[in-house]
Amino acid sequence: MRYILIAIILVFTSLNVEAQGLNSKLVDEGILNASTKQVNQFFRRFNGEESTKGERYYPGDRDFRNHSLRNQYLNLIFDAQNNSISSQLKRDFVNQVNSQADPQYIDFHSDGWFAEVTTKFLYQGADVYITLFMKLEQENLGYKWVMSNVYFPHFKNLFSSVSSDPPKFLHPMSHEIDFMNLIRVFSDKDNVEQYIEKESSPDYLSMFLYELKKGNLKYQSVTNLKFHFFQINGWYFELANFNRPGANSGWLISSLTKLESETDKEAIIKFIMHE
Amino acid sequence: MTKFKILLAIVSLFIGYNQLSAQETISPSRKQAIDSLALEKVRDLSKYISIVGNKDTPWSEANRVIERTLELFADGAMMGVSSINREEVNYYGVREYLERLMALNYDKVNIEWYNIQYISDLERQPDGRYVGVITIYQRFEGTTEEGLRYVDVTKKDITVYVERKSTQVAGRIIGFWDVLLGDIRVSETKPG
Repeated sequence: MRYILIAIILVFTSLNVEAQGLNSKLVDEGILNASTKQVNQFFRRFNGEESTKGERYYPGDRDFRNHSLRNQYLNLIFDAQNNSISSQLKRDFVNQVNSQADPQYIDFHSDGWFAEVTTKFLYQGADVYITLFMKLEQENLGYKWVMSNVYFPHFKNLFSSVSSDPPKFLHPMSHEIDFMNLIRVFSDKDNVEQYIEKESSPDYLSMFLYELKKGNLKYQSVTNLKFHFFQINGWYFELANFNRPGANSGWLISSLTKLESETDKEAIIKFIMHE
Repeated sequence: MTKFKILLAIVSLFIGYNQLSAQETISPSRKQAIDSLALEKVRDLSKYISIVGNKDTPWSEANRVIERTLELFADGAMMGVSSINREEVNYYGVREYLERLMALNYDKVNIEWYNIQYISDLERQPDGRYVGVITIYQRFEGTTEEGLRYVDVTKKDITVYVERKSTQVAGRIIGFWDVLLGDIRVSETKPG
């Protein structure tokens, strides 16, 4: 078991291996084995729930969530080419996640993670990119992915006007004139959002569905996918797929941030959602 | 009245059985057995793809194998294919995908499968069925009459549906797990 682990670590870290061509099939298989091939495998490796051969460990198995096995995995599931994740930051994260006293795990069914799916649509005859934010939702005894938010720059630009000079409003005695001044509101489309209540915000998901149902949006395909995790106390990390030669490939942590407060978390979520 | 009581008993039994099967969970040992069954279907698929892709396979035989391949799949399964140089995913029905493979313009085609497979957990869907994904890798080599060689390695993420079914044998209801393949995501990997 220890020798297999050492072998797989050598495959993970050896640059020579990355330079091997397709003809060297045996080495290729070692690389493919080392690559984090599915998000499911990322969960298992993060939690120390599978053997180096990819066999699932279950509660009760001797090596299930084994501390040293997990330590090895946690050091290998980062994008090694990303210099913005410092060694110290990575060490702090791994030490907290795999602490002997209070280890932390990620859970597929729990809140605190979601997918960001970049999709390509045809809109008014032109290619456009729309980002769908998706989360897992329980229904009956099972689960399903559902759309929770959408980002489409075209929708966002429609609501960019927040003020004007002079400011636009319906004066407080408009009711006495049967709101006849609404004609001014609706003839000034660019500033119409100034006439809605302060707390109101556009529901981009509904707008997206409306455009889809009207036939104005035609789906093409998914062009990118990543995941955002907030399940580890005090940390945020992003998971992305790296289709590249070598063992440091597949689903890897592409961004890591220490969160000092709940405000940090909210700020990151707003940034991700383009709010 | 007696008829009504019998009907009531049958309905209760049926509801009871459905509730039981709806609550059934998959133990680790059961999961292993299902994985083996699913892998067997994936191996069949790999074998069939190699046969259909092989230029030495007679046309009628290839068509027969395509029919066999389709039996492995749930209705409406699709192949989503992307390449390194193209961000979009092209969608094909399974039959269309295999027919395109059959019609590829190479003089010689060699399809090999890597001895790597990754089997995900099985997750329950809202409809009670379970779903998982098996990942395998394929090496394709096509050579033209002029000797030009094209090689690619593709990752195939294959959806697997697992469903509890029952059948009546000699008056007894026997439950079994049925496995069907679903959508397949085919992505070209970057060679080393």
